[in-house]
Formats: sequence, C-alpha cells, structure tokens
Amino acid sequence: MRYLRELFASRELLWNLTQREIRGKYKRTALGQLWSLANPLAAILIYTFVFSFVFQLEAPVGDPSGVQNYALFLVCGLLPWLFFSRVLGQGVEIIVNNAGLIQKVYFPRVVLPLSLTSAIFFSWLFEMAVLVAALLIVQAFFVIPLLPVVLAFMFVLAVFASGIAMVASIINVYFRDMFHLTSVALQFWFYLTPILYPISLVEEQSERVGGLLGSPITVLDIYRLNPMETFIDIFRTLLYDNRLPDLATTLIALGWALVAAVAGLWMFSRKERELAELL
Amino acid sequence: MTPNAVEVHDVWKKFRLYHERNQSLKSAFMRGKTSRHEDFWALQGVSLEVEQGTTHGLIGRNGSGKSTLLKCLAKIYWPTQGEIHYNGTMASLLEVGSGFHLELSGRENIYLNGSILGMSKKAIDAKFDDIVDFSGIERFLDQPVKNYSSGMYVRLGFSIAINVEPDILVVDEVLSVGDAEFQEKSIQKFADFKKAGRTIIIVSHAMALMDELCDRITWIDSGKVVETGKSSPVIQNYLEAQRQK
Repeated sequence: MRYLRELFASRELLWNLTQREIRGKYKRTALGQLWSLANPLAAILIYTFVFSFVFQLEAPVGDPSGVQNYALFLVCGLLPWLFFSRVLGQGVEIIVNNAGLIQKVYFPRVVLPLSLTSAIFFSWLFEMAVLVAALLIVQAFFVIPLLPVVLAFMFVLAVFASGIAMVASIINVYFRDMFHLTSVALQFWFYLTPILYPISLVEEQSERVGGLLGSPITVLDIYRLNPMETFIDIFRTLLYDNRLPDLATTLIALGWALVAAVAGLWMFSRKERELAELL
Repeated sequence: MTPNAVEVHDVWKKFRLYHERNQSLKSAFMRGKTSRHEDFWALQGVSLEVEQGTTHGLIGRNGSGKSTLLKCLAKIYWPTQGEIHYNGTMASLLEVGSGFHLELSGRENIYLNGSILGMSKKAIDAKFDDIVDFSGIERFLDQPVKNYSSGMYVRLGFSIAINVEPDILVVDEVLSVGDAEFQEKSIQKFADFKKAGRTIIIVSHAMALMDELCDRITWIDSGKVVETGKSSPVIQNYLEAQRQK
C-alpha cells in the first residue's frame, strides 16, 4: 500500500520518463514515430506470404463480423503479442541499463519498468488505430462500439506485461542470463500461442491424441494454460469477431494481470533498496 | 535551539566482498552454491546530528566510509542497521547530470532531470529561467546535450540540482568541476541556500573550500566517527593525523 502511494506521488516522473523514452527513440530520424509501424508491417507481410499464400492456411470467418481475411486475423493477435514481447524483451534489461541513474539518484525504481511499458503502449495504441481503420475498410463496423472495451483490455494486458517484466528485470540483476533466457523463451512462447494459426487446429490435434497418459487432461488443456492464449483470444473476439469476450475468459485475464502485478510490485518493494549495491 | 534537519542513529552498513561472484545461472547450478564472499563493514555505528540551516562537511581518507555514508544519506544505499531521520525534503547531487538523455535538448533535459530529482512540473516552470540563467547556456538550450562541452553539461546539471530547493541537499565532490567563475557562483548559491534556512551535507577533499563552506565537520575513518565539531579545528586535527602517517 505504501508502495502504491509512493508510486502515485511520482506520476510526473513516470510521465517524463515515458516522454524521454518516446522522444529519444525517434530523434533524428526523418520518419519519426512512423518507424514504430515498420516492424509490425514487415511481420504481417512475411507471415501472410508464408502462411496464407504458401501454406494456404484458411482464415476463420469472424462471427458476427463476417470478415474472412488472414492478414487481419493475424494482426488482431500479432499486435497484442508484439506489445507484450517488446515490454518483456526490453523490460528485462531496464534495471541493468539504468544502473548509472540508480546508483546516483533516489527515486522509486518501479517507475523505470512502468515508463517503458507506457512508451511501448503508446506505439501500440498507434498500431491499433491503424488496425481499426483497416477493419472499417473491410466493413467490420461493429468494432466501433467495442472500442472502449478494447482499450480496457489493452490496459489489462499492459498490467500483466509490466508485472512479468518487473519480475524478470529483478532476476536479471542477479543472473544476467535472464536476458538471453527471455529472448529464447519469447520465441517458444510466440509459436505456442495461437497467433499465426487459429486455435481450432490445436483442438483437432488434441482430440486426435485424446487424454494424455490415460488421464482426462488433453493437449489443449495444457496449451490453454498460457495466459497469452487468453489475451489473444480476447483481442480476436473483440476485433475480428466484433463480440464481447465471455465472462470466464475475462476473469481469467484479470486474474493473470492481478497475479503478475502483485508479483512484480512485491519483488520491487522487497529488492528495491538493494539494487544500487547489486548492480 | 534549532531542530535537527538530519539525525543519523548508529548506522552500520555491510557490503559483501565476493571472491567468486556468480552472476550466471550456469555457475550457480554447477557448483551448487551461489557465491563465496566475506562481509565488510563500511560503516560501524555512525551517529551524527545536523542542525537545520547549517552546512555540514564529511571528511576522511579514501575508503574511510564517508562516501558510503553520503550514499546512505542520499537514500541510494540502505543502512544494514540503524536509522536516518530527515526533517524535510531531501535531494542529492552525487553526480552532475545523471539521468540526462543525450539526444534530448537542454530544455527537455531540464524537465526530465528536474522530475528525477523530485520537482513537479509547476516548480520547474517557475524555476526555469533561474536554471537557465545560472547555467549560462541559454544560446544552446535547444541543442541536444550530447553536443555540449563537458563544462556546459556540468553547469546545467548543477544548476538544476541547486534549484530543486530541497530542505536538505546532499552533495558529493561536485564543486571541483567547472571553471573558477562558475565555482564562485556556486559558492554564492550555497550561501544563499543556507541563508534561506536550508541544510547542506557535503563531501570534499578540498580542505580550504570545506573550511570556508562548512559550519561543522565530521571526520570519518574506518567507518567510525573520529571527531565532530567546528570546521577549522577538525580540519587541523585531520591534516595533522594525515601528516603523521
């Protein structure tokens, strides 16, 4: 509680560090903020070529939106994933990279990972706006009334991602392996989350295999333990299908975000004071 | 009697000296132990009181623990044992310009650095002209700070920190930077600071300067307080002891 109060008191610092992150990144580039669209755009072109054109994977039909387009199906899942992977991938190093600041000035350390998340969130917002425009072009108009819900879940995912990144960044202070481990883990995580393919394909395989080792637990049950599966499902339901996610899925997502945030804040409040010596 | 701005009660600080520092998971797994270390007590029961509105100096040899104490006062290290009480807000200036973003302009960095040091945007707005005046960089305000000369860099950093106007300012060896004119201005600024009833705690090896600036001085050696008292006598005793070695 004391920790949250201190965090609230440093909200201006949080805002300034976020601005530093955003402004510093695209300084002296001609295209500026537009560069943040370059990476997702490249990924969309590559994956669409490989999976839709070469492998001829059929995109599911959005219900009730009626949209059937692999590129859009992909992007609805890819953008939240890219946000998450950037927060974790860059967040794991945030303490170590700011060693100089931590050893010279006192401020609540937790603003470092949070300002990173906010800066990446800002780029994500920009990407999502482009996605919504694309959805309107294919006449998925019902995305409009759902936008506040989309925004709310973006916030929930941001909480989840920051929590995980906070834990990872503290572990990275003790074991610098964490950074390399994270980048490998993110690769596995990406392919084990239904971003490039619909989860229905996993369902089919899972049914074919049946219960594992004679138990009623299926491959799908294990597969769905992945919190990112829940989040991707929610964003697809909202954006591609134009429906509200069901209550159970919503509660699972909120639960994951809460667990991650508590773990992250607990880790910081316990270790914050030692960071200057450990670096 | 004026109240104390800072009270340090029996502060101990332990560091671990690592013989083998294991910062990779591999070595932790392979040897089945995390690290080998011995304890080093950098501070051993330091107590001192700093009266409000005074300038208090810390002197001692290299490795005496004075910088550790200063970092504890600046809340960068936390005492292993003991407590430090503050009566008012504290800001520290351990290194000039830490937290500057090199690609950002001087103007942007004033806001960034000011907020790292705990100023609100309103406070920075109000102080902005003072900061720019004092640093003498108005012509380069919109240039990225990476193009600044080291002198300009230091002047801007110092000028932000001094304008934070905390009740208590904790300063490390920063006055040795900058040219003579800037040093003169800085000393004047310290004097104004003191006149406003604010407290300064400072570390420096420049004894003449310390004698001029400080009301009282604490001499630290091997993590313990040797002597606290009026500046001149403590400095004399300290120099005497140094000569005899």
